[in-house]
Amino acid sequence: MDNAIEITGLRKEYKGFTLEDVTFAVPRGTIMGLIGPNGAGKTTIVKLIMNLIRRDAGEVRVFGRDNLRHEPEIKSRIGFVYDVPRFPEDLRLKTIASAVSAFYEGWDDSRFRDLLEEFRLSPRQVFKKLSHGLKMKFSLAIALAHGADLILMDEPTAGLDPVFRFELLTKLRALIQDERKTVLFSSHITSDLERVADYVTFIHQGRVVFSAAKDEILDTWGVIRAAGDGLRPEDIPGARGFRRTEHSLEVLTSDLAAARRSPLSGTVIDKASLEDIMFFIGKGNAHA
Amino acid sequence: MLKILRLEYLLNRRQILIVLAIFTAYFAYMVSRIDSPRVFVVSTCIMIGLAMPFTILGREDKFKTSAFVCSLPVRRSTVVLGKYAATWAAIGLGLGYTLLLAAVFPFSKIQVAEILTARSLFVALFLISLIFAVILPFTIRFGLVGIIILLVGFQLLGILALILSHVLGGANNPLRVFIRAVAGGLRTLLTHEATPGFLLALLAVGVAVSAASLFVSRALYVRRDF
Repeated sequence: MDNAIEITGLRKEYKGFTLEDVTFAVPRGTIMGLIGPNGAGKTTIVKLIMNLIRRDAGEVRVFGRDNLRHEPEIKSRIGFVYDVPRFPEDLRLKTIASAVSAFYEGWDDSRFRDLLEEFRLSPRQVFKKLSHGLKMKFSLAIALAHGADLILMDEPTAGLDPVFRFELLTKLRALIQDERKTVLFSSHITSDLERVADYVTFIHQGRVVFSAAKDEILDTWGVIRAAGDGLRPEDIPGARGFRRTEHSLEVLTSDLAAARRSPLSGTVIDKASLEDIMFFIGKGNAHA
Repeated sequence: MLKILRLEYLLNRRQILIVLAIFTAYFAYMVSRIDSPRVFVVSTCIMIGLAMPFTILGREDKFKTSAFVCSLPVRRSTVVLGKYAATWAAIGLGLGYTLLLAAVFPFSKIQVAEILTARSLFVALFLISLIFAVILPFTIRFGLVGIIILLVGFQLLGILALILSHVLGGANNPLRVFIRAVAGGLRTLLTHEATPGFLLALLAVGVAVSAASLFVSRALYVRRDF
């Protein structure tokens, strides 16, 4: 399977935060979710792919081409949705679309108008008068109107009501049906990713914790729960984090099969959800 | 580049009209009070040279739309070139409009024919190039704050010059000599005979300064994180 995005050894340093040695690939025709707690580096990665910030090291290849050397060609195939839409606030939607459309050969005005209608937006509306959800819908309409091969979205579902989140995720799912289009979106809402993502890349403190198929992750990661203090985290194979309360211990493992094989008495073993993984690695006590 | 120009036009047309409306009031007063073509040219150039970059680049800063522009399929160097072209176009429009106002206002004391000379036009373009060349890199790097930094910097420089001039004393201290030389240069610029060599030199310096400014702005913009 060829990749829409290949990121290798990516590095970006800020004061107090460093994105370090980020490497992962997004297979073409799939949806990948970038997850991680706030401040993990998700937005930084998205911005580096879009060359909105300068990288300190590493390489980003989109459709097999370096994203800096072939910037205009690559961006003409990307539909980008910002976490906070950055369009000129005092303009009508039709004016913004008119300004943007000239940059894309594949711009389809009738498709754009259909999308506006679907999202219940009028071209005459002024951008600043839209709610956050409607602004996101408009951004999505712009991103989809030029037949982009890659949809890149930074926290598109943050601050949206459940109904629109569901609509958006359904739309993304429908989008990749032709197996040519690829979606990469960052989110800290793990339930969204569990619903639609084929692949998940987990970022924590500027580093990739894992990047794999979602089903594989959900099959191999687990949570072991034990009452009392008879169990120690280091007894669990593949332990990656734990949380101890007064009366119990919960351990996250990345080797569920081995944990099930080991003789652990008085424990309950469950598959881990993405939220469990994010919680234990982000907030619990990380374990090597 | 034409796409960027079109984009800037669509994004800024309403604000440029508002600026032109303000110009109408300002220049109505100005042409009724000033009868010197030289003063008119210099003050118009300063006004337009400051107002147009402020209008176009200020909006981008206000709405934080640089990230939007940079997400479009275009190189940043082209974006900067487009901004220069758009600002020059707006300046041309502003100049043309003020000349029109000076010509049509019945109470105007300015003889437009005295301004519509090769020397006046070349001097105007030269002065605007200088203002423009200093302002744009600051604005492109720091946004609206850049203009404020620049203006405050000039104010501080003026205060420092006054203090130094006072401390050094005497009519021929180096600072006063320098200020006299600058004033003399400006006077020469406005009164020099419009020989082809003089006009060509003005044009060459204006183009060189603009090119250097563009080069610096491009280097700054390419390094900016959004």
